[in-house]
Amino acid sequence: MTLTSLAVRNLARNKFRVALTIAGVAMTIVVFLLLRTVIWAWASGAEWAAKDRVVTRHKVTFVMALPKRYVEIVRQSPHVKQATWANWFGAKDPKHEQEFFGALAVDPATYFSVYDEMKVPDDQMQTFVHDRQGAIVGDVLARKLGWKVGDRVTLQSGIYPGDWQFRVDGVYTATAKSVDRSTFVFQWDFLNESLPPARRDMVGWIVSRVDDPARVADIGATLDRRFDDAETPTLSQDERSFNASFMAMFSAVLKAMNVISAVILGIMTLILGNTIAMGVRERTGEYGVLRAIGFLPGHVALWIVGESLVLGVIGGLAGVALAWPFINLGVGRFVEENLGAIFPYFRLEGGNIALALALAALLGGAAAGIPAWRASKLRVVDAVRRVA
Amino acid sequence: MVPIRYNVRSLAVRKSTTVATAGGIALVVFVLASSLMLAAGVKKTLGTAGRPENAIVLRMGSDAELGSVVEESSVPLVLAAPGVARDGTGRPFGAGEVVVVAAMEKLGANGVTNVSIRGVPEDVMRFRPEARIVAGRPPRPGSDEVSVGARIRGRIRGLDLGETFDLKKNRPVAVVGVFDTGGSSYDSEVWVDREVLRQAYHREGMVSSVRVRLESPTKFDGFRAGVENDKRLGLQALRETTFYEKQSEGVAIFVGALGSVVSLFLAVGAMIGAMITMYAAVANRQREIGTLRALGFSRASVLASFLVEAVLLAVVGGAVGAAASTAMGFVRFSMVNFASWSEIVFSFDPTPQVIATALVFAVGMGLLGGIFPAVRAARTSPLRAIRA
Repeated sequence: MTLTSLAVRNLARNKFRVALTIAGVAMTIVVFLLLRTVIWAWASGAEWAAKDRVVTRHKVTFVMALPKRYVEIVRQSPHVKQATWANWFGAKDPKHEQEFFGALAVDPATYFSVYDEMKVPDDQMQTFVHDRQGAIVGDVLARKLGWKVGDRVTLQSGIYPGDWQFRVDGVYTATAKSVDRSTFVFQWDFLNESLPPARRDMVGWIVSRVDDPARVADIGATLDRRFDDAETPTLSQDERSFNASFMAMFSAVLKAMNVISAVILGIMTLILGNTIAMGVRERTGEYGVLRAIGFLPGHVALWIVGESLVLGVIGGLAGVALAWPFINLGVGRFVEENLGAIFPYFRLEGGNIALALALAALLGGAAAGIPAWRASKLRVVDAVRRVA
Repeated sequence: MVPIRYNVRSLAVRKSTTVATAGGIALVVFVLASSLMLAAGVKKTLGTAGRPENAIVLRMGSDAELGSVVEESSVPLVLAAPGVARDGTGRPFGAGEVVVVAAMEKLGANGVTNVSIRGVPEDVMRFRPEARIVAGRPPRPGSDEVSVGARIRGRIRGLDLGETFDLKKNRPVAVVGVFDTGGSSYDSEVWVDREVLRQAYHREGMVSSVRVRLESPTKFDGFRAGVENDKRLGLQALRETTFYEKQSEGVAIFVGALGSVVSLFLAVGAMIGAMITMYAAVANRQREIGTLRALGFSRASVLASFLVEAVLLAVVGGAVGAAASTAMGFVRFSMVNFASWSEIVFSFDPTPQVIATALVFAVGMGLLGGIFPAVRAARTSPLRAIRA
């Protein structure tokens, strides 16, 4: 029998306690993974962002728009391959007051080629381009609100008065994880023509694709310099920085979640440490005997740490096994459908699983530190004599 | 009844186990209490901004002032609606306000955040008697002078007494005063002269909302009917209290839900920890239990005694956790509110209710974790236990 297998076999001595410990560790791992997934889903928005897209918006505030002529200027700027624009519409379906979704007035000819990760079937696209009151909706939104291609929908907007009639011409699907599948897009011309002349010909923001992703920051700065002396200065950011600055607004939440993650690991360590300390206390006599027949203090410490490490790993595995259905089938599905604008993709991810398992093993080993140190320091005579 | 001193001493003699178990419970209670305190703080911040006798009028379909556009021409009609209070000279108590957000540089953290800027009439303090100037002086009406909320002051570049910032390009305004409304969301806003803001943001001829003081809270239904019956206006009236409840919904639900899910799982983990400890206590004290039974203590007394011990353990942990969480009362938590898309500073609000909930939660963990071990203890046969 090897030293390692002895450590593992010790675990089987109090099966009930070990089972409870594994359950306790598993619970903490589930929460840990849930929080990690939130943090990861939040942060990865920036990583999934297209590297070659630049967003140009009003420098001071997102509530003000840019003159539409800026689009042509952007299109003629160096390194810009294509550009499109959109306006925030702030829509709500009076029949589903509680559902939040993004509604954008876009340029039908160019929007879906700049955002080519949003896929619309060709025939639906053809209908949309020629249909003034047409709309394309995300598949998640269509499913949630029960809309089908050909349906007529009436929306209201907090920004633009009145009832707005649209026809669902198509449904888009996503080929990238970063796409919100709950957006409603319709023709910008339809919105523009309905406005009083003073509010016409303004665009919310301009999105362009550039030919050199490595120089995306320079290209953005060049665009901004172009508008610096104009009445409406702009701020151009590549999509990644744009997403990152959006996330930065919630940095306090992320910080809090990191703190809670650390607390969770503390709780897990305490549960593990408690179980190991109890086992060690009960077996003090045995360790004395083992020492008396020639095993070194290091052996004793190794057994204890090994036992705890294995316990941590098993607990971690159990936690992952619980977290998988909980996050991927339960919470994740709910989040993607209801908070798709912030978390378009909310799933358990390999890196986080590995991190959880590594931490469970590491902290399992660390939790045994004090009991192992104590047990190895014990004098043989005392150990043999000691009553648990 | 077995004396409680017996339990206290039993806990004291197994220091490390007691500390580990109570520590785990303390951490869980800390997380729970902190998230409850934050949820309470969010409610307080957004809830105290509203007064029952005030009503707010927005564009139909808008949840927030930011996305709402009300034509200037509608304002006199709203002010003339039934139930609006009038001052001595017959002037209605109420005004249209303009709300925009501006991207500003956060101090101490890299990044830009959105700050709410409210364009207010000259008599803003008459309408909001809870607002006091706590530093500097009130801005002169119609000038480029502004006042900033006490909580946002010093957190954003340019937003402190004596500093200036650009309302828009080449339109600097000077901060001459700091106002405090007692912790409501106004304290995270900048107040600018309404006409100055309208001009800078091209909001001529429109406001975001109309706020009115009613003769009494009971007049609301009449007022609402007066405003909403005129379909051409396309406006909706809300009680200010209802409006702010809706505003806080998003954040409060987010914080509350995440906090509850995390606490629940952690609680199960810590409860299992307590269970492990109590099972070990029962197993190790077989002889003591047998003696107690032989002395004439009933099964019920033994059961009660071990339950008391478990609850004691949990209460110690809970008290430590709750005490530690009150320190969070000094922490200011700054994040973007989903409804207004602007930075709001929240505090953790240690209400007695939160502390009580946390302690009850701890007792519950002790009871649930202790019940099965206590039943096992009560079932111990005195004869076999003494011989063991």
